[in-house]
Amino acid sequence: MTKCPYCGTQNRPGALFCDDCGQPLLEDPNSLTLPTKQIELVTSEINTKATWGTARFAEDAIILVHIRDATEPVQIVPRARVVIGRADASTPNKPDLDLTSYGAMEKGVSRNHAAIYRSEDTLTLVDLGSANGTHLNGQRLIPEQPRVLRDGDEIRFGKLVVHIYFKTSVSI
Amino acid sequence: MSTVTFEGVDAYSMLGIAPSSTFDDVKAAYRRAARRLHPDVNRNNPGAAAQFQQITGAYEILADPAQRTKHDEYVQKIPRDQLHFSLRVMPSKRRITTLTEPQVIYMLAEVFPDPRATHESHKRESRLNLCLVLDRSNSMNGPRLNQLKVAAHQIIDQMNETDILSLVAFNDRAEVIIPATAVTDRAALKARVSLMSASGGTELLHGLQSGIGEVRKFLAPRLVNHILLLTDGNTFGDNATALQASRDAAKEGIAISAMGLGQEWNDDFLDELVSASGGSSSYINSAGAVVRFLNNHVRNLSKVFSDRMFLSIAPDPDVKLESAFRLAPSPQPLSVEHGFIPLGTLQRGRNISVLMQFEMPANMPLGFRSAARIVAVGDVFGETIHRFQTISDLSLEVTNTTAQDKPPTAILEALGKLTLYRMQERAQQALDAGDVRQATRSLENLANRLQALGESDLAQQARAEAQQVAHTANLTERGRKSLKFHTRSLMSGENSDSSTSSNSNGDL
Repeated sequence: MTKCPYCGTQNRPGALFCDDCGQPLLEDPNSLTLPTKQIELVTSEINTKATWGTARFAEDAIILVHIRDATEPVQIVPRARVVIGRADASTPNKPDLDLTSYGAMEKGVSRNHAAIYRSEDTLTLVDLGSANGTHLNGQRLIPEQPRVLRDGDEIRFGKLVVHIYFKTSVSI
Repeated sequence: MSTVTFEGVDAYSMLGIAPSSTFDDVKAAYRRAARRLHPDVNRNNPGAAAQFQQITGAYEILADPAQRTKHDEYVQKIPRDQLHFSLRVMPSKRRITTLTEPQVIYMLAEVFPDPRATHESHKRESRLNLCLVLDRSNSMNGPRLNQLKVAAHQIIDQMNETDILSLVAFNDRAEVIIPATAVTDRAALKARVSLMSASGGTELLHGLQSGIGEVRKFLAPRLVNHILLLTDGNTFGDNATALQASRDAAKEGIAISAMGLGQEWNDDFLDELVSASGGSSSYINSAGAVVRFLNNHVRNLSKVFSDRMFLSIAPDPDVKLESAFRLAPSPQPLSVEHGFIPLGTLQRGRNISVLMQFEMPANMPLGFRSAARIVAVGDVFGETIHRFQTISDLSLEVTNTTAQDKPPTAILEALGKLTLYRMQERAQQALDAGDVRQATRSLENLANRLQALGESDLAQQARAEAQQVAHTANLTERGRKSLKFHTRSLMSGENSDSSTSSNSNGDL
């Protein structure tokens, strides 16, 4: 049996991809360290289209926000500043992305929780001094300190988890 | 399935010997082949059984001097410059290490049309005998039926006057809108299409039967006899009869391809329906894509080099054929139950490739050995039509060193993508077995792999479905079909025909 180096599943010898997790099972241990190949792939594709892991945000791209437990993603056409939070009857100003309908109240999302800023060709995420904090890929943000967003990043507003994807509109 | 005959075949090539061979050579070659293919050592191996009949037939001809002389005359009459196709089989490794446990080996079989066929002198449009069987149940009302009419009009325009067209519309009953006829009076045919209206339920069987009836009127080996079925609904109760009808039609040389529109149709059923004749099944997720889809399909049919292609696979007695998948054209899972794998049509300038998975036994003796005998058969269109077949009998070296060859890139690439398709299949199987945790895990793994391969749209869908499954223990019908057919279409290397963006143009 060949043990999958990624998930530990036992595969029959001769199998080239793990039955369970689909990762390649390369018999040559030298080729197991894939990074060189992957980095090449990423850098070459950055120039052609936005891909996973890239920080470059193309001019005509939009943001897709996948909110956990919601089936349909939310699309945002980013302006200079997009405020994320929850609408509240007691204050007149509404956030640009209102998370109320996704259980923002119970999950501890603040009214003005965080904002996404758009600069030249990157996006940055800033916590606006929220009560329960903003986490980017598991790391808590220091309020008012911008961090660069990448395609595929996970953001947690309080307890509400979303995934961010960049999407160039040409693919339609 | 043993009804398939091998007329017009060179008995010498069957046994792998030269026409100048002596009787002793013939006998030795036959003994060698029979040891591998004899039914006594090949229980439950229909591929081997059929090939055994073939080599026995070839031996009987060559063993009898009178028959052999006649056969020699026949072989000489085959023109040397006749067009043919070739078969190449590539294993994932040529040297395998003997192990105390069974191991997996992959083989990529590719059938190439004659390169001369793309030259002007040989270029000819294959003649079609096409029947469109279209769903016009109530749910087709509106943009779907309108798009379908546009598509039918364009098909009428692109067909030649020598082609035969028929059109059957079905709901609870079937109605022959255009009886099988040459495409001469295009305006009249189009007018009939325009009058179609939607009503009633979906009962596929009647439509299919009428369609087969129309194709049968002009059924001929020199035509591409094809039924193109389009439905948007699930049919109840008549599935078994419809499958039988498609198998019978396949034996007569009628191929069926199917297209499902929207979410409601039964994809497993359509897959099985087309598999008997090697047709393809596709998923169209928006009415807007119907026209392009149908037109492309018909255009490809007019570029046929050879038709009624199939592979016959006879694994050695100790080897097991586990699965086969057609990668190109139109990726499709294939049934290996019968040892015969129908592949449909071979187009000029495009090859058919099939990826097969075999299990090799434990404790193999060292040295060279064979694994499987693979035969590709089909009717080649030319001045006349002729049946052609070609054999591949690959040998592998069994060693006791652990040094490994790197698998060919073509196999790695194809298998990497096929693995994605298998993962969504696993998720579905886990769900059917009630294992929500495993299903969620499979979908998450699938999302990760898709993401790593740069398919971020599809990765998002897989992730959304994983969450859906975790909460409701069910996939959405749209997500399920989309993952199944889009992971499938990754293999053809072409960008999936229908739009992969699930959220931007939800026009259904």
